[in-house]
Amino acid sequence: MLVVSDLSKTYAPGGEPAMAGLDFTVGEREFVCIVGSSGCGKTTMLRCLSGLIPPTEGSIELEGRAVQGPPEDMAYVFQDYSRSLLPWQTVAGNVSFPLKYKGLSKAEAAAATEEALAAVGLADRGRSYPWQLSGGMQQRVAIARALAYKPRILLMDEPFASVDAQTRAELEDLLLDIWRRFEITVLFVTHDIDEAVYLSQRVLVLHKPAHVFEAIDVDLPAERDQMDTKKLPRFGELRSRVLASLRAPDTTSA
Amino acid sequence: MQPSAVPAPVHRGEVSTPAAGSPRTAGAGPTPVAGPRGSAGRNDGPKEPGRARARLYRFGLGLAGVVGVIALLELVVRLGLLPEAWFPPPSEIFPAFARLVVSGELFGPVGQTLQGWVLGILAAAAVALPLGIAIGSIELAHRLTRFMLEFLRPIPPVALIPAAVLIFGSNLDMKVFLIAFGTFWPILLQTVYGIHDTDPTLRDTARSYGLPRRARLVRIVLPSALPYIATGLRIASAIGLILAITAELVVGTPGIGVSITDAQSAGDAQDVMYAWILAAGLLGFLLNGSLQAVERRVLHWHTSFRGEAR
Ligand SMILES: Nc1ncnc2c1ncn2[C@@H]1O[C@H](COP(=O)(O)OP(=O)(O)OP(=O)(O)O)[C@@H](O)[C@H]1O
Ligand SMILES: [Mg+2]
Repeated sequence: MLVVSDLSKTYAPGGEPAMAGLDFTVGEREFVCIVGSSGCGKTTMLRCLSGLIPPTEGSIELEGRAVQGPPEDMAYVFQDYSRSLLPWQTVAGNVSFPLKYKGLSKAEAAAATEEALAAVGLADRGRSYPWQLSGGMQQRVAIARALAYKPRILLMDEPFASVDAQTRAELEDLLLDIWRRFEITVLFVTHDIDEAVYLSQRVLVLHKPAHVFEAIDVDLPAERDQMDTKKLPRFGELRSRVLASLRAPDTTSA
Repeated sequence: MQPSAVPAPVHRGEVSTPAAGSPRTAGAGPTPVAGPRGSAGRNDGPKEPGRARARLYRFGLGLAGVVGVIALLELVVRLGLLPEAWFPPPSEIFPAFARLVVSGELFGPVGQTLQGWVLGILAAAAVALPLGIAIGSIELAHRLTRFMLEFLRPIPPVALIPAAVLIFGSNLDMKVFLIAFGTFWPILLQTVYGIHDTDPTLRDTARSYGLPRRARLVRIVLPSALPYIATGLRIASAIGLILAITAELVVGTPGIGVSITDAQSAGDAQDVMYAWILAAGLLGFLLNGSLQAVERRVLHWHTSFRGEAR
């Protein structure tokens, strides 16, 4: 579904590359997690994939078509979630405003908004303003907006970074549920190794400047459970493998 | 009386930052205005009575201050510390003002001053807003005009009075032109600055959700520039009034300024002159107050008003 070939990005001409020779393929309905140290270029990668910034080199193909601008049917949950919310719009307004441009009627948009807000546990906060909510709640508004949009591919940049462990577990399961029900493809950037292994079918370990150091298949049973899955010996093994890969000295790049 | 040059772009609740590119951390303004946000914004109900009382207390203090200064003035004049011939005591100015109100004499000149103010600011806004939006959203235009704007901005509008009189004579047109010129800059600069300063994350959000260009302008960029534009209009309002009265005083275009000079030359009418000055002050106060009230309603979501409106 998504083919990334030899992607590089250098921000300042002649400067250090933020991404160099990134290569990977994501299949239809796959759930891929991306881990990498801070500053290794994960956000840069997502911004290129979303068509917001052009890569310096390389190509991105989404469903056979080259990505040149923001593709339809893609939603992107930003790392700066609070700055991606419109302070002059209510929570419901923030979730629903993109829907009009997707061609939904007012009633359809309202229904989708209500459903998405309920899914993230904010059903009763639709009329609040984002700045009246806590950081974690704001993050869930940004997630609800992406869900309401019903994309075919969802990019998420550390979307659960500022919620408590309990809410985080709930949101992880919610996301898995949505991923299955709506048959979407998910690219999920996280710093949390447990989360990466728990959610995904494949973990891409990036090294700096962003390139795939190792791709680790997560061969856990498809049905995940916060308690049972994390108790499996295989879960522990995969965890250690990802950790080792993150810490490994780089041998792939020149 | 010299209206100062237009101040550099400012944004309420923020220290004015050097032009472009500086990332704005939303809501994390360095000034204390961010204060009421957490407490007042989140718990809507229970603190209401306490806040009302605090507001009444503040208002009371302000009123006491005004009354105190008036009483002091009265005393100073009565004691002969200020010559009564030039400084009539407030106890004479207020009755003179009341007579202007009762006889209806007040409203003609106030209306004329207000008319110039309204027409001038409307004319300025009609050009400055679209131009500011264009310059703010087109990077090339922004770069091209930056230095030119910085150069034109500091021209004190009153320096144009002689030219304006030559072109327009000494009637309303001339006053409107002067006000339009003087208020054009703050509106333009604030608009450019506000448009240009739209949070890049917001722009990216709108773009990634496929909003067309026009929708991004109307739904994202303009609302986020609105606080800046409102500040521009408030600055313009003050400058506009100064320029209206200046034109009236210097050139004799009908309005409050003419009434002031008339009262002055009438010899024995110091109290009337001060009554007109009082009228000018009250007009400025009311204009500013109404603009602020509108702002508070429209921008209730902005950091500097949060917690007051909901
Ligand atoms: N707009 C930009 N201009 C110039 N350099 C940039 C820009 N954005 C990112 N960089 C640089 O590119 C590199 C990668 O940044 P990026 O934000 O992609 O990292 P990240 O992996 O997302 O980090 P984190 O986990 O901390 O979010 C960093 O060295 C950063 O300084
Ligand atoms: Mg990042």
